[in-house]
Amino acid sequence: MVRLSRRAWLHRTMGAGAALGSGLWAPNAAVADDDDGGEKRCGVALPLPHTTAGPFGPLHFYFPGPIDGSASPTDATGTHPEGRDPSTITNFDGFVGGVDMNFSGMARDRKTGVEAPYTFHTDSRFMIGDFIASDQSRHKGAFAFL
Amino acid sequence: MGPHSYDPGTAPSLLLWTVDIPKGSVNIDLDRGEASLHLQNLCNLFDAFTVPNSLNPTHPLGLVSGFLRSLRIEWSGIKNVRSFNNGSTFRGHFLETSASIELVISSPSTKPPFTPSPQDGFEFVADPATSQTHFAQIGHESNGALF
Repeated sequence: MVRLSRRAWLHRTMGAGAALGSGLWAPNAAVADDDDGGEKRCGVALPLPHTTAGPFGPLHFYFPGPIDGSASPTDATGTHPEGRDPSTITNFDGFVGGVDMNFSGMARDRKTGVEAPYTFHTDSRFMIGDFIASDQSRHKGAFAFL
Repeated sequence: MGPHSYDPGTAPSLLLWTVDIPKGSVNIDLDRGEASLHLQNLCNLFDAFTVPNSLNPTHPLGLVSGFLRSLRIEWSGIKNVRSFNNGSTFRGHFLETSASIELVISSPSTKPPFTPSPQDGFEFVADPATSQTHFAQIGHESNGALF
């Protein structure tokens, strides 16, 4: 969720990239599998190979739009003959939902108590199903792209 | 109120803005063209304030924990049905729908060194009636090694 559309911002800055550093992190998708011959195996979900140019390096996702890759106002990167996969996870077999929307509501300053209308844009998705993680094993899981 | 932008960050694997959630958070019924995502009390996301600040490895605007008290997204109303198969890496069958969102989210007050300057805390409650869908879809897909 962001006040300025991710789509608008990324499109404005495309091509201005530098290397994406390793300083970004998130607790995500750590999964543990059953013992395999006495060896505990762990893995994390891996990103989609497709990348969209970002300001600090490639971003592993498609903008929202029809899965056949046809032109869409929600994806200024154009058409994608290979298809527009809405999952952010690769080696995945399951159900996906996605929305690209604006919405408004009331924001409140927690110090002063002042309230004001506020608008967000979101590209939010869920993925639920099977995936092959970095441990090369098949897992079941659910994820949200927020 | 200043800018606010919530996401779970980018993983060392470069998995973007994606976080694992309880399997019970998702309900989907493709026969009826309906689905829902319901998350509560999610702490593992950040208020990065802006998208560029989220993507910048040095986070010049700072990075603080956000608290997603409740998020509910509902998909319904089939507008279009689309199937696609590229023959090698991706295939799917999706229903394009409308959607609505309910959200209650907050950020704590901050001060240096967590942000360049002090900021009051922020709370937001969405009005679901204002949901303006640009694109929404639900469906089933296979990709990569599970194609």
